[in-house]
Amino acid sequence: MSVFCRRTCLTGLALLAAGLACAQTQFPWQSEGASHAGKAASVVYLFPEQVEVTAGKPSTVQMHFRVAQGLHINSHTPKDSYLIPTVFSIPSGAAVQLKGASYPAGAEFTLPVDPSTKLSVYTGEFVITAQIVAQRGNHLMQGTLHYQACDNNACMPPKTIPVVMDVVGK
Amino acid sequence: MKRNTVVLFVVLFLLAAFAWAGWANWESRRQAAARAAAMSAPADLVMPGGEGDLPPTIAPLINKPAPNFTLEDVHGKKVSLDAYKGKAVLINFWATWCGPCKIETPWLVDLRNQYAPKGFEILAVSEDDLDPGDKQKLKEETQQIASFAQQMHMDYPVLLGGDAVTQPYGGLDSLPTSFFVDRSGKVVAAQVGLTSKDEIEGNIRKALGGQS
Repeated sequence: MSVFCRRTCLTGLALLAAGLACAQTQFPWQSEGASHAGKAASVVYLFPEQVEVTAGKPSTVQMHFRVAQGLHINSHTPKDSYLIPTVFSIPSGAAVQLKGASYPAGAEFTLPVDPSTKLSVYTGEFVITAQIVAQRGNHLMQGTLHYQACDNNACMPPKTIPVVMDVVGK
Repeated sequence: MKRNTVVLFVVLFLLAAFAWAGWANWESRRQAAARAAAMSAPADLVMPGGEGDLPPTIAPLINKPAPNFTLEDVHGKKVSLDAYKGKAVLINFWATWCGPCKIETPWLVDLRNQYAPKGFEILAVSEDDLDPGDKQKLKEETQQIASFAQQMHMDYPVLLGGDAVTQPYGGLDSLPTSFFVDRSGKVVAAQVGLTSKDEIEGNIRKALGGQS
């Protein structure tokens, strides 16, 4: 076999290997979550994953959440005392302390079968603004969001999800 | 000539390999996008009507004996499902925080008044959280459920601590969920989520043995 043919064959094999590798590669735009199909969570914490705050002083952090499409959760101030409000909390005694939280106003919502009853709910993306205090150093804030989700015809039991964030006190 | 033929085959092979790799890559991304779309699709808590559409955890209960349970009602009296043999029973899992449950409760009250003389009863099993370890809190929680039941004119047994009996009834991912038990104690129908008064009435008649 001539040098030309050998080189052509080797180049071809190398290109083929590269092509196969490309076919199996998960590209950055193919999210990790997309490869784990499963039942969607009612509410997910979106961001931030890390914040930098002034050590020892109250700092404001805006936490973004998303309610799954087709669902709603009660706002922090539902219109009926029997309904379960959405509440963010941090365990007492943790390295990051919660000094207060302000919640968005709920959107007015009615169930199609009962237009006379007004509900105050969050749907889609919503933001809770928390006032936190952290000492100097790196801390893992392990907060929770307690909520209760429904769709137009049924409700799921109340749930508490973790809200985890790296807090750097400087 | 022979060398040129070999080179031509190699080039064609490479082109075919690239075409295949490109297709495989596109297919992989298409499937990932479809999975992502499925993840963000509207969540549907309620299964469409019909026994065949019941959640797989609940469907196997149809035409089987209803799992027995004994729970306390809001007045502290023990109530057992077995004590209702000979009657048609609607076991309604609900909670005070459940909006759709609140909508269907007046329908249940009406239907119970209508069919009780024919041997029909409702057992409302509350899924509200209780704190058995804190007596004062438990008392307040019980009182809250009792007040709600009174406001809604639920003149049938309202049972507490439903969490303890949800497993034999399929785990109950969503409320309201109702099971219709005939006079022999067999589950003849189930409903998940808010349906309609007519559908509930149809299942009550089924439990009563076709009586109207």
